[in-house]
Amino acid sequence: MNPEIESLESLLEQWSDRDLPAVDVAELREMLRKDAKLRARFVSWQMLGAALSMESEAWSAGMTESGLAKPLLAREKAWVGAGWKSLFAIAVSLAFVAIAGRWAYLEARTESIVSQPGIVNSGPAAIEEPTSRGIAMVTRLVNADWEQHQSSSIGVGEALEPGTLKLRSGYAQVEFFCGASVILEGPAELELLSSTAAKFHSGRLRAQVPPAARGFQIDVDGMKVIDLGTEFGLSVSAVGSDVQVFDGEVKVQPDAVTSQLVRAGQSFSQKDGVINRMTIAQDEYTDLAMLDEQARDQNSERLKRWQDFSQRLRQDKRLIAYYALDQPERWQRTLQNSAEATSDDLDGAIVGAKRVAGRWPGKGALELKQPGDRVRVNIPGEFRSLTFACWVRIDSLDRWYNSLFLTDNYQRGEPHWQILDTGQLFFSVRVSQQQGGQEHRVVLSPPFWNPTLSGKWLHLVTTYDVDAKTTTHYLNGRQLIAESIPLHQLVETTRIGMASIGNWSMPTRPDSDFAIRNLNGRIDEFAIFSAALSAEEVAEMYESGKP
Amino acid sequence: MAENDQSEVLVQHIAEHQNRLYGYIFSMLGDHVRAADVLQETNLVLWRKKQEFRSGEPFLPWAFSIARFQVLAHVRDRGRDRCLLDTELVELIAEETQKQAERFEELRQALRGCMATLSPQHREMVRARYFRSCSIDELARSQRKQASAVKVALLRIRRRLAECIERKLTESA
Repeated sequence: MNPEIESLESLLEQWSDRDLPAVDVAELREMLRKDAKLRARFVSWQMLGAALSMESEAWSAGMTESGLAKPLLAREKAWVGAGWKSLFAIAVSLAFVAIAGRWAYLEARTESIVSQPGIVNSGPAAIEEPTSRGIAMVTRLVNADWEQHQSSSIGVGEALEPGTLKLRSGYAQVEFFCGASVILEGPAELELLSSTAAKFHSGRLRAQVPPAARGFQIDVDGMKVIDLGTEFGLSVSAVGSDVQVFDGEVKVQPDAVTSQLVRAGQSFSQKDGVINRMTIAQDEYTDLAMLDEQARDQNSERLKRWQDFSQRLRQDKRLIAYYALDQPERWQRTLQNSAEATSDDLDGAIVGAKRVAGRWPGKGALELKQPGDRVRVNIPGEFRSLTFACWVRIDSLDRWYNSLFLTDNYQRGEPHWQILDTGQLFFSVRVSQQQGGQEHRVVLSPPFWNPTLSGKWLHLVTTYDVDAKTTTHYLNGRQLIAESIPLHQLVETTRIGMASIGNWSMPTRPDSDFAIRNLNGRIDEFAIFSAALSAEEVAEMYESGKP
Repeated sequence: MAENDQSEVLVQHIAEHQNRLYGYIFSMLGDHVRAADVLQETNLVLWRKKQEFRSGEPFLPWAFSIARFQVLAHVRDRGRDRCLLDTELVELIAEETQKQAERFEELRQALRGCMATLSPQHREMVRARYFRSCSIDELARSQRKQASAVKVALLRIRRRLAECIERKLTESA
């Protein structure tokens, strides 16, 4: 290896740490000036640096190794495939960021580097390939109450890894990746072994096994129940175990050597080693149709609970604006402000976004997809502490900044609430007009979002507490992070003015430029308070509104 | 309408070549935040000068020359002391940079393949250093090694990556 090249590369590696002494910079430049080969080498080195830096963008956006090319390809495709208008918007917005938005672009990039240490520690989670590991998935829950330690971890859409499910009461529908689907009736305990096998310890279940999943096997009380394409029920209790076949047939192996077929309409029970075969008197296991009905009951029950809560919330004097999204009119392009203490002037204007179904059938939401989609609001006045709360369903985080709520400008006292492509919740209030220095205090949560949460309703809250000098982020009623704001970065008077929900814009400018920060997902409730809600209030909001 | 078509073509070009432009600018500045910044400015200028661009003409040389001016302006504004290169060097490497930036997508493709050939340990080092921007000192601390040893290891890994990429690029050329 040429010693000149070696010393060039060593200097460059040091340069990236910003601690290359001026005299070395001068030397490096001198080397480059003299030698064309070295310059070519320099450019190759830098190109690799650029490629590595882009890879990290892809990684932190949560892309898998094999799927690395995907986000870019998808993005390019979206650009090329989109209509002229949005292409125009993209170009103009790219441009726009450069002028008015330059500091805005820097608002997090520079800051987030400063606050990097916290992220670096949790780095592997954010940077490693996001895999949806698991052998089965929860597809439906009705009044499900899990054992304490599982309660927070199992929700609909959750991929399940091998392990034991303990359901205290209610129903859970679990679909194994082989295709078998099981309805658990609590109290029950089911141990997931693989995508084709489970062990049933206690309770009742009903399994439906389509032909594709034939061979699905459940161990019960020392015997094996092997499905041959059918529907059957199992119950295990102190009085013994019972297999009932509703359709098709099942092979039962009470021990290692014997094997018996049980056909539709028959049951097979074992108690203290004594086997008893009978004809089924009555189908007493919950099947999919019954579960569906109960799910509907639960939905309307939850919707009702939210409606009650929402009615009470409207009277809260601290509300600045409250968009409950419960108007039935789909064509309505005004987003009604339901806060009773404030005026109709705070109604929002829906731009682009479609009205779609929300957390429950019968509850509305707004879908934001296109770069232009947004809700425009104008909220005059001055405030101190603030709370932003919303129910949001994120389909993916496509942008560096994915907006929840941004004021048009970013002047002193104006808040910006968004989600970074790294899955971190971001909140800042602008401190000063000067560029550089302490422009604002960004409080970033640890990454809370990854692609496995795609399509799930989440409750996000951020409080900005002037008196306690603290910004706190919450996800689903639980605190993600609370950070204190140093006195010189604390702004006591906050303002909102013209702003957008789900995007960022300055449409009041004559040239209508805008940066693309649109959220890709749905919002079905949005509230702003002129006070910092307590942790208990945030938890109550979540509990009363969870789908 | 003709003007709209023209704009659309230009926007598509800009979108399609973002990465190459980024590679070009980064190579001259050696810093992600600055490079992203100058890229945005370049996009703005490309858009403003859309009258100068005639479809049918190659887009990239035009875009690169505008990017070069933006880099030069940046170096002048920021003061040469805070940049790696001075304006003279930017001009000196412009041609080579353009040549390599044209193949930037291939390079990225090759890099992914080459990353896979690294040992898991080395891959983790690359991620920490270049994806998460850990400094050499931070890496040394977390690995309980001397900073100089970490630096030597990084240089070796990076050289191996560079060689692997060069091989792949020559094969496909």
